[in-house]
Amino acid sequence: MTVMPKLEDLVDQSFDPFVVEKLSTGDCPDPYPRIHELAARSPVIEGSYRMQFTDVPDAQMGHLPQVMVLGYDAVLHVLTNPEIFRNKEAFAPNLGKSFGNTVTVMDAPEHTRFRKIFQKAFLPQVVAKWGESVVDPVVSRLMENFIHRGEADLIEEFTHHYPFQVIYAQVELDPAQGPTFHKLAIAQLLSSIGLPQGPEASGKLGAFFTELLRQKRANPGPDLISHLANVEADGEKLPDDVLVSFLRQLMNAGGDTTYRGTSVLLTALLTHPDQLAAVIADRSLIPAAIEEALRWEGPVSSTFRYCSVDTEIMGHPIKAGTYINTVLASANRDPEKFPEPDKFDIFRKNTVRNLAFASGPHLCIGQHLARVEMTRALNAILDRMPNLRLDPDKPAPAIIGHLLRVPEHLWVKFDAS
Amino acid sequence: MKAWMCMNCGWVYDQATGDPMSGIAPGTAWEDVPDDWKCPDCGAEKADFDMEEI
Ligand code: HEM
Ligand SMILES: [Zn+2]
Repeated sequence: MTVMPKLEDLVDQSFDPFVVEKLSTGDCPDPYPRIHELAARSPVIEGSYRMQFTDVPDAQMGHLPQVMVLGYDAVLHVLTNPEIFRNKEAFAPNLGKSFGNTVTVMDAPEHTRFRKIFQKAFLPQVVAKWGESVVDPVVSRLMENFIHRGEADLIEEFTHHYPFQVIYAQVELDPAQGPTFHKLAIAQLLSSIGLPQGPEASGKLGAFFTELLRQKRANPGPDLISHLANVEADGEKLPDDVLVSFLRQLMNAGGDTTYRGTSVLLTALLTHPDQLAAVIADRSLIPAAIEEALRWEGPVSSTFRYCSVDTEIMGHPIKAGTYINTVLASANRDPEKFPEPDKFDIFRKNTVRNLAFASGPHLCIGQHLARVEMTRALNAILDRMPNLRLDPDKPAPAIIGHLLRVPEHLWVKFDAS
Repeated sequence: MKAWMCMNCGWVYDQATGDPMSGIAPGTAWEDVPDDWKCPDCGAEKADFDMEEI
């Protein structure tokens, strides 16, 4: 039996990383008019995506040559030509500082080798089993807090917590340590803006995971950590630094994104009551609703690549050494691929696949888990919160931010049980 | 049910659908998919696919 290592809190306990995080994702209500304007001009435009929406300089990347790549075909070209458009140089100065040597900061052949080991633990048939064993109990426990009330803020009371708690369950974290875990997971991102709490949080999460791995190697169980700690590829175990970095990343890659994706899904349905009614009447529409929500307001608006040779994108020359802002949001709202792209419409037919989970070798490892989580969450809400509607006495939900978009509140009413 | 699945991303080849975007017509048996065909989601090689229970 393992004794869970203790996770240490930040020394300055009054420091609130959530407030700093909010500042860095911005409060832009609607970046899409600007995105459409840029994409209509050219698939390649000088400058960074971020500087379209904020005057706060980017300490990490601001001085580097950057272009934005816009529109479905151009974005797909970047994502699916990894020999030219590399990850290592693109992410070493930001995510690499927070997480360490994780898959996002690798290119082939290193990436190919490690990626397959991690993906194996998150294949569809594996994560399907977690729906009942892990996700449902988490969802149910959170709903107990408000289900009797007939009203709730589904962001503050539900979506902001459940994907993180799914991860805590995977790492068998003592629930009492949950809030510290969540705080450190957000604080570690602050390395990229030079705050000392960033490396402090990365170090404390690293110490915790290193000790956990030591224990799980000695006494393996049926859990995810034991599996990753002992799995072998080509006769070799995963190196500790790669595994610890992956676990650090899991909090943000799996928690922050799914929290935002689920929030957007619920907001979209509640602000389009006819489509909500259709889903209530026919639950087989849920997969289409999830895909459309991720296309319409994908949680990750833009990602980076590094151009390693002189090349061109759709006839536009790009110099080696340029950082590419790969604007996923512009691909997902490309009018050539998705007619009336700004409309949320779960009945869209015959479209290309959206790029909310990206494409190419770094395609999201957790996409199958995210879909399981979002499906379980939505089903539970529809099952247990009849007559669900926006609270007419509270402000309507507003999705904000230019990079990681989410509404701050989603106040609803329903028939209490 | 078993199906051919990409071990790099979890994409599943469905013979009934094929992969028309890459010129693989609906109904094409896995054996007839050319060896230089790539996973439409992540770009992995045909050789990276395994038969898996789904
Ligand atoms: C709705 C939820 C999610 C969205 C929208 C999302 C989005 C993305 C995107 C866009 C990327 C690619 C970034 C790039 O190539 O630059 C990515 C990568 C990744 N995601 Fe997710 N993600 C979600 C949920 C998850 C979950 C639940 C996990 C947990 C396992 C996860 C783990 C990862 C990892 C480890 C990578 C890096 C893959 C690599 O570099 O090979 N994600 N995600
Ligand atoms: Zn694949």
